[in-house]
Amino acid sequence: MRLLSSLLSVSLLLAGSFAAKKTPTGRFDEFHAKSLSSSPVKLATSSYGSWTAAPRDYSAAVLLTAMDARFGCQLCQSFQPEFDILAKSWVKGDKAGKSRTLFGVLDFADGRDIFVSLGLQTAPVLLFFPPTEGPHAVASPDPIRYDFTAGPPSAEHVQAWLARQLPDRPHPPIKRPINWTAWIMGVGIFAGGISLLVTASPYLWPIVQSRNVWASISLILILVFISGHMFNHIRKVPYIAGDGKGGISYFAGSFQSQFGMETQVIAAIYGTLAFCAISLAVKVPRIADYRTQQVAVLAWGGVLFILYSFLLSIFRIKNGGYPFSLPPFM
Amino acid sequence: MAVATQGASSGINSQNTRTLLRVSILFLIAAAAVASRLFSVIRFESIIHEFDPWFNFRATKYLVANGFYKFWDWFDDRTWHPLGRVTGGTLYPGLMVTSGVIYHALRALTVPVDIRNICVLLAPAFSGLTAYAAYLLTNEMTTSSSAGLLAAAFMGITPGYISRSVAGSYDNEAIAIFLLVFTFYLWIKALKLGSMLWGALCALFYGYMVASWGGYAFITCLLPLHAFVLIGMGRFSNRLYVSYTTWYALGTIASMQIPFVGFLPVKTSEHMPALGIFGLVQLVGLLQYVRSSMSAKQFQTFVITVLVGAVGIGLAGLVGLTSLGYIAPWSGRFYSLWDTGYAKIHIPIIASVSEHQPTAWPAFFFDLNMLIWLFPAGVYLLFQDLRDEHVFVVVYALFGSYFAGVMVRLMLTLTPIVCVSAAIAASQILDTYLSAKKPNLEEVTDAGATDAKPAKKSGLRVSSKPNVGIFTFVSKALVVGGMVVYLLMFVSHCTWVTSNAYSSPSVVLASRMPDGSQHIIDDYREAYQWLRQNTKEDAKIMSWWDYGYQIGGMADRPTLVDNNTWNNTHIATVGKAMSSSEEVSYPIMRQHEVDYVLVVFGGLLGYSGDDINKFLWMVRIAEGIWPEEVKERNFFTSRGEYRVDAEATDTMKNSLMYKMSYYNYHSLFPAGQTVDRVRGARLPDQGPVLNTIEEAYTTENWIIRIYKVKDLDNVGRDLAAAASFDRGQKKKASKKKGPRVLRVD
Repeated sequence: MRLLSSLLSVSLLLAGSFAAKKTPTGRFDEFHAKSLSSSPVKLATSSYGSWTAAPRDYSAAVLLTAMDARFGCQLCQSFQPEFDILAKSWVKGDKAGKSRTLFGVLDFADGRDIFVSLGLQTAPVLLFFPPTEGPHAVASPDPIRYDFTAGPPSAEHVQAWLARQLPDRPHPPIKRPINWTAWIMGVGIFAGGISLLVTASPYLWPIVQSRNVWASISLILILVFISGHMFNHIRKVPYIAGDGKGGISYFAGSFQSQFGMETQVIAAIYGTLAFCAISLAVKVPRIADYRTQQVAVLAWGGVLFILYSFLLSIFRIKNGGYPFSLPPFM
Repeated sequence: MAVATQGASSGINSQNTRTLLRVSILFLIAAAAVASRLFSVIRFESIIHEFDPWFNFRATKYLVANGFYKFWDWFDDRTWHPLGRVTGGTLYPGLMVTSGVIYHALRALTVPVDIRNICVLLAPAFSGLTAYAAYLLTNEMTTSSSAGLLAAAFMGITPGYISRSVAGSYDNEAIAIFLLVFTFYLWIKALKLGSMLWGALCALFYGYMVASWGGYAFITCLLPLHAFVLIGMGRFSNRLYVSYTTWYALGTIASMQIPFVGFLPVKTSEHMPALGIFGLVQLVGLLQYVRSSMSAKQFQTFVITVLVGAVGIGLAGLVGLTSLGYIAPWSGRFYSLWDTGYAKIHIPIIASVSEHQPTAWPAFFFDLNMLIWLFPAGVYLLFQDLRDEHVFVVVYALFGSYFAGVMVRLMLTLTPIVCVSAAIAASQILDTYLSAKKPNLEEVTDAGATDAKPAKKSGLRVSSKPNVGIFTFVSKALVVGGMVVYLLMFVSHCTWVTSNAYSSPSVVLASRMPDGSQHIIDDYREAYQWLRQNTKEDAKIMSWWDYGYQIGGMADRPTLVDNNTWNNTHIATVGKAMSSSEEVSYPIMRQHEVDYVLVVFGGLLGYSGDDINKFLWMVRIAEGIWPEEVKERNFFTSRGEYRVDAEATDTMKNSLMYKMSYYNYHSLFPAGQTVDRVRGARLPDQGPVLNTIEEAYTTENWIIRIYKVKDLDNVGRDLAAAASFDRGQKKKASKKKGPRVLRVD
């Protein structure tokens, strides 16, 4: 295998140098004509060699990817459409080829040998080959590698990166195709929703006007916000985490962090405490039977006390030095 | 305090006695509010805190020394060197003018007072006024006489507000929260009475608020939202028309008098809701008027024409003006409130500020304690009546809690409404259970038969039955006892939080000695004093922007960047100088005429707020401008760790910040035991080598290190060669050692 691959890479080099025999300008025109019909151009082992052969008066951005489902390459799958958009809008915006830039894709299935010869362990890899001849020539023929560490980038992001590599040349902007299905769907849903509302309004109107509904919506929203849901949303915290000893810890041990489950517990506690307070303030004095009332006061007051004590004990997990507590959770 | 308020509501009959009691309770609350904010003065001294207050203090001194008009036109050439800053036109002058007025008034009364003491004590003094404003606002919401007093007490001591108003915290929020609450009170008053006078007063205080704090946008958005919700509920009235129109017209004119605000109220999107609702109010007012003089059929056609026309023209105008660029898009800080991922991607400088982080739940509980669960209960109780002013509280509660969840700093705007609604809930409970009246069983059954009728259709389900009261003494004692326990715990919680968390000036640090005595760490002032006494009057100091205001205020030296982060590129320049190697940094520093570089290093003491911990933000901000030259990735090891020990990446080890922080640090320790106590890292025995700068001063605990930028070599060598020659190394060796290592990135 090793022998084979080295043989192959030698033959590649040879192929590249043969290809290079053609005048570089002629090569670019040929590739450019091809990419006008379909961009990015799907490459294979041999065409990759001729594209990237050393004396070149054009630049090439080649995405080495592994789209086959067997490899399970999430990043490849999510980046491919973005790269297609980039290549399409670039070629469309630069029909005359003034920027002398080509876009190609080499799938692992078509160019296993290239991957081997480049020593690539991971995909995707985006290589940019700067020109070695002409007005924008650079000293080193080696490709520049795009950094994928920050997750799947947008087409605009890569376009900006390319633009930095290609100073003084036109940089066609990204033009995303209009998503007709989404628009039609959106209009359809909107119209459907409106007609549904109109037809159902006799039934909906009492609900919209119901003060109980609005009160509960407001309370739920307030509880969600004050229990730190926005923190979860922004920081994308885990729902629960292991405690390192095989168990599960429901509460993050620091003041500045929290888990998803934790905020739900807190929201539930706040909600119950608020409900106890409401009951004591509004419901209990309206109970006309004094025995029931006595029991209700005991129940709500007891729940309030115990839950508040529990809340304080949770807070002491978060803030080690907190000195206050109530029985029974001391 | 809780006990005192209960006293007020129980059976004292005479009106005069009640008023006297109420006034004295309010005074006591104000005194408690002021007293609880004095921890820092007692523990430390009368000193200005933190960062921004130092600028405000400096500006106030300028105002007092040079008069108002010079202050208004102040161009400050000692910051943002070499750009300078049009300070008079880029600050909110309300705070400085307020303390200037107080200063001159006291002088006129021949009270000899230092401007520093006024600045230090301004925030506590205004907190007393805030408590009073909360009292007034709550009294508009409920008829219970104890609710207002409870709200004032809560407002006075709740840590959520104390955090920004301890003595010495001389920041815009010091007066702005009072203005916020008072403006809301005036708005409610204007709306209730439909009075132009109250509306104008509201506009006046709104103008004062605009002059004081950028957070005025909260009012600018909340009042229109309230008006909009009222119109949506079909509660449009002439009272709303008069109060809103008066407030908007006068308030907008007042706000435009501030140079920093200028024409923003008619340009930027965050002011658009107010303008839009102003238009809507006019439209609805017109419709109301027309309806009274038209037949129903004609009116319907009229409504449709007017509505379609107005909405169409309005939308087209908005879109057109935005696309033509007359209306600015949402400003970054505001935008990051809605699209929570926005700041992280686009504006690292906003994301880097710890106040702009989202709020985890412990912060809510820490700042509000028991109020946090009384708050939803209070909001629910307001749904019983749901008068116009109650709608305001509900809207405020919703938006306040959303904003507080997104940004820690906006906890401050949530706190007033939490106090108000928690006080309403608490007073309802206390009023119910403290009543000495015992319901009569027969009366109750009678009332149940007759009163079943008036239960309002739109009311809450819980309040549909008649209120009978509490029968047994045991119930009353239990609930009141519980409430007293919670309130006492609330008071001790507030005291504990204030004294432990919010009373550190952060300029002066306190630590405990092994024997329990307090040890004061005063490195910041030591360093600033050194700069003041040992450097030229116009020596330029480069440091990360956090320390710009302090250097300007305490050392009185020009700085490159400071906490008024108006110029991202300039900050990125400093970030680049700090995160690049010496060869790259030296030309940058020469170009900006930097004489000294100041870094904060906590490794020796274990002080975690130092520059190495902030370093990644410098890198990120610099990367935002020069993505090819500064790369965050290079500061992480191949395993993705941020390290400072021997395993650190070469880029990290060669960065100016790393070198300045750890220069000579190993000489403090025996060989092989050099430890960074913040990051818990063991450092190599060979410390970094500096060629282009030299150590000028290091404070007692090594927290501040100051370096002098060397002048060009007087025989024309590059500084690396000169430095290695001085160290006695041969030229060859230096060649191998110096530049080649440094060019790795």
